[in-house]
Amino acid sequence: MPPSTDLLQGTLDLLVLQTLAAGPMHGWGVAQRIQQVSKDVLQIGQGSLYPALHRLEYKGWIQADWGSSGNNRRAKFYALTDAGRKRLETELDTWERLSAAVELVLGRIPGAEA
Amino acid sequence: MINAFLTRLRFLVFRRPSGDLDEELQFHVEQSIEAKIAAGMTAQEARRQALIEFGGVERTREQCHEQRPGWWMGTVAQDVRYAMRGFRRNPVFTIAVIATLAVGIGATTAVFSVVDRILFRSLPYAHDDRLVSFGLSQSLEKQEFTLGGFFYEWRDNQKPFESVTFERGVSTCNLTETNPVHLNCGEVAWNFLPTLGISPALGRNFLPEEDLPNGAKVALISDGLWLSRYNRDPGVLDKTIYLDEHPVRVIGVLPKDFEMPRLQPTDIITPAAMDVAAQHTVNSGIGYPMWAFALLKPGVSVQEAKAEMEPLFRHTQEWIPAQFRQEFHLQVRSIRDRQMQEAYRAAWILLGAVFAVLLISCANVASLFSARGAARRRELAVRSALGAGRGRLVRQTLTEAFLLALGGGAAGCALAAILLRTFIAIAPTGIPFLAQARLDLRIVSFTVVLSMLCAILFGILPALEKPRADALAARQTNFGAHARLQRALVAAQIAISVVLLSGASLLVKSFWNLEQQSLGMQTHGALTVQIPLSWQRYPNGQAYLDFFLRAEAALQRLPGVTAVGMSDSLPPDGNSWHDGGRYAEMVVAGKPPTPAGVGGTVVARSVTPGYFRVLQIPIVQGRGFAEEDRAGSRDYMILSKLLAARMFPGGDAIGQHIQIPRYRPYYALDGPVYTVVGVAGNVQNAGLSGEDEPEYYTLRRNHAEIWNGHCMLVLETALPTSVIAPWVRSQIAQLDSLAPVEIEPLDQTVSKLADRPRFETALLGFFAFCGLLMAVIGLYGVIAFMVAQRTQEIGVRMALGATRWDILRLIASEGIRLIVLGGIAGLAAAVVSAELLKSLLYNVGPHDPATYAAVALLLAFVALAATLIPARAAMRVEPVVALRCE
Repeated sequence: MPPSTDLLQGTLDLLVLQTLAAGPMHGWGVAQRIQQVSKDVLQIGQGSLYPALHRLEYKGWIQADWGSSGNNRRAKFYALTDAGRKRLETELDTWERLSAAVELVLGRIPGAEA
Repeated sequence: MINAFLTRLRFLVFRRPSGDLDEELQFHVEQSIEAKIAAGMTAQEARRQALIEFGGVERTREQCHEQRPGWWMGTVAQDVRYAMRGFRRNPVFTIAVIATLAVGIGATTAVFSVVDRILFRSLPYAHDDRLVSFGLSQSLEKQEFTLGGFFYEWRDNQKPFESVTFERGVSTCNLTETNPVHLNCGEVAWNFLPTLGISPALGRNFLPEEDLPNGAKVALISDGLWLSRYNRDPGVLDKTIYLDEHPVRVIGVLPKDFEMPRLQPTDIITPAAMDVAAQHTVNSGIGYPMWAFALLKPGVSVQEAKAEMEPLFRHTQEWIPAQFRQEFHLQVRSIRDRQMQEAYRAAWILLGAVFAVLLISCANVASLFSARGAARRRELAVRSALGAGRGRLVRQTLTEAFLLALGGGAAGCALAAILLRTFIAIAPTGIPFLAQARLDLRIVSFTVVLSMLCAILFGILPALEKPRADALAARQTNFGAHARLQRALVAAQIAISVVLLSGASLLVKSFWNLEQQSLGMQTHGALTVQIPLSWQRYPNGQAYLDFFLRAEAALQRLPGVTAVGMSDSLPPDGNSWHDGGRYAEMVVAGKPPTPAGVGGTVVARSVTPGYFRVLQIPIVQGRGFAEEDRAGSRDYMILSKLLAARMFPGGDAIGQHIQIPRYRPYYALDGPVYTVVGVAGNVQNAGLSGEDEPEYYTLRRNHAEIWNGHCMLVLETALPTSVIAPWVRSQIAQLDSLAPVEIEPLDQTVSKLADRPRFETALLGFFAFCGLLMAVIGLYGVIAFMVAQRTQEIGVRMALGATRWDILRLIASEGIRLIVLGGIAGLAAAVVSAELLKSLLYNVGPHDPATYAAVALLLAFVALAATLIPARAAMRVEPVVALRCE
């Protein structure tokens, strides 16, 4: 198992929102999806996942509904709300600015080295 | 935005079922197991791995819960429960804090509610800050007044005022209808109400043409009269009523909060209808007396207005004969100042006293909390070790302070309501607006917040310090810093209560002197009968003479009445109406006149021979008036001992001839010449606490010119008032059924004069008692706490050979130091602040050494007791027990 990378503060919200942008999903699905997409680099433990989901729900960015999973098991599905979609956009903007700034500091961008 | 808010609100209101989360987590684990089985693990292994990966559920649960908006409110309930448990465990602390807060908040609120009306209330007039009273003042009448001859000149030429108006005083009048009542009628200018900014509650104001000498007779009635007589019937408008048998049309009703600027009780106001031209001829050309008020132009101060009025004043001064000009001064002051002259000082003293009590109570709360905080360090350290964050600890302390302040505040409000009622019940009638005092919510919140701040500030200090691990291990809590603060607080409390105590003791002593003094006359068994007759029905002296002689004869016939006297006024009240003059203006035949301004004022009374008998005023030289003198034509006079000694130091008063000037309105030496027949004992005649004034009595002969409405009867009787009063009333009713009769025992009249000092003494005494009590509780608390903290030390000392007396000395010296320190500081402050009380004291100086000695003794005694109780407990400490308790 590759060593898990500590997530930047506040990044988890962005990851969850981005993942849910693809469609409603239950908690397990969100965790699996993030892990798959990040090629096992990002592993989200339930200890951070569920508080994050609840927080987003309380803020009104996602909403939860009970539905049934593939094997007919009752599961709680989270879906992005309109407010959540807007939030995702601002979070993405913020992230882009942040990562660009970090890249600059690290001197990775060609031309910035000189 | 609104959406987000609604979402939050929804979650705040509807808790999600806690099973939801468990089911969600369960689902997560199951999915994890399935995934692992799918990856090739055995079911058992998959389950094991999944659970390991999953980790602790409880933490997740808690964290999810904490995401809920407002989740911390749940902890408040927890804090409250915890605090309550703490209070129950430590009832002495709780009760002490709540009682302290209750007394502080209650006393402050009640007193402030009272003085607020006196010091800071807004007058019931629009632009009350721009209204002034202006006029002349002189030595016989220090309250400014004016005269018709001057007023109109001033009114027409003044610049600083937007509007100028006057009232002509309030006099008694009778509503002569079925059920006649005795009322107070005021006469005012037509622009009186508009200038003050008063609009009638019903109907209209006077019209200028109604204020002319032959204008229509109209009146505005007070709300009180409207209610009592007409049951608030709007039909009273345009109704014709009979005032002293003259028809008057009611054109309006005054607002409920209406009051005359000089605060006279008033039931009816009518236009003064002054004849302006006549003001230069009547009353020797200076016009009738009146009281003027004005509305300052915006931006003009009272001082500026006075400066601007000065030339006008000097101009009209010329009309006053030269020898009197010096006597008159121009006075311009705000209506508020005019109303509150004497009440001001008492109100400030009261306010000062109550703030002292509030200070003591705050200091007490602070020191109680601080002691508790020190004692709880260990507990805080334990809670911190168990994972309570600092925020949580601070919140806990705040919750406790808040709860106690709430309890204290509630108890304080209840106490304030009781105190306020008591004040109103025991207060003398002379204190303006007391009866309308209401609990002031602003001040309730102010005091609650203040005491809460005290509690929070001192309660939170220990919680703010990061609890150190060594506090857990420490066998003995650190006593240093807190103890110093507490000691300072206790010393301050003692000092403040000494100030209060000395003030109260001075007042008590002064009041004692007041009650014990000899009035120079017998008030017990003397009954005054006043019969205000309307001048319309008794138009001249002869009518009064006839009536009162018949009344006297009728009362003399009553069983149980042993003597009847008549006079125009009665001692000892110096403020109610009485005749008088200046010493310098009395002319003794054959002696050079006294220079003007020497000798001050003299009180005069016109009495029948019975007056001396009823009041048992002794004749010390010569003879009294005789019954047969009344029918004679000679004018006799009796001097008071004081006057006789001043006028005839040689003791040869009897047989002298004295001429008394008449005022019309300046003195003219055409009055009767009196022969002195006797010298009477001094009678207190300038109020209970005033300096006695010289006095003379003239014989009230059966001569019409001497008689007028100023006449009252005094009876000597052994019967109780309740028995004799109906008889008196029926006798008078037989003479004149429309004449109202007012009967009061002289005892009661005199006792009323003492109401005010009694009130002030009782209040200050009460506050001093509260202050002392709290200071002593504070002292006791600190010493007891110190003993508890030092139990082990005491044990060690005793084990090392200290005797019990050593221990007692150790602990008691601590307390004594505080007492001495606070006591000395307090006495010094008391001596300085006693100057303020000077005007309230009678026959006792503000620096009366006996009083201060008594205060110091009382304080030393009580405070020592508060120290010795815990010190004795320390003395009884068993060394073995003390050492074992580690």
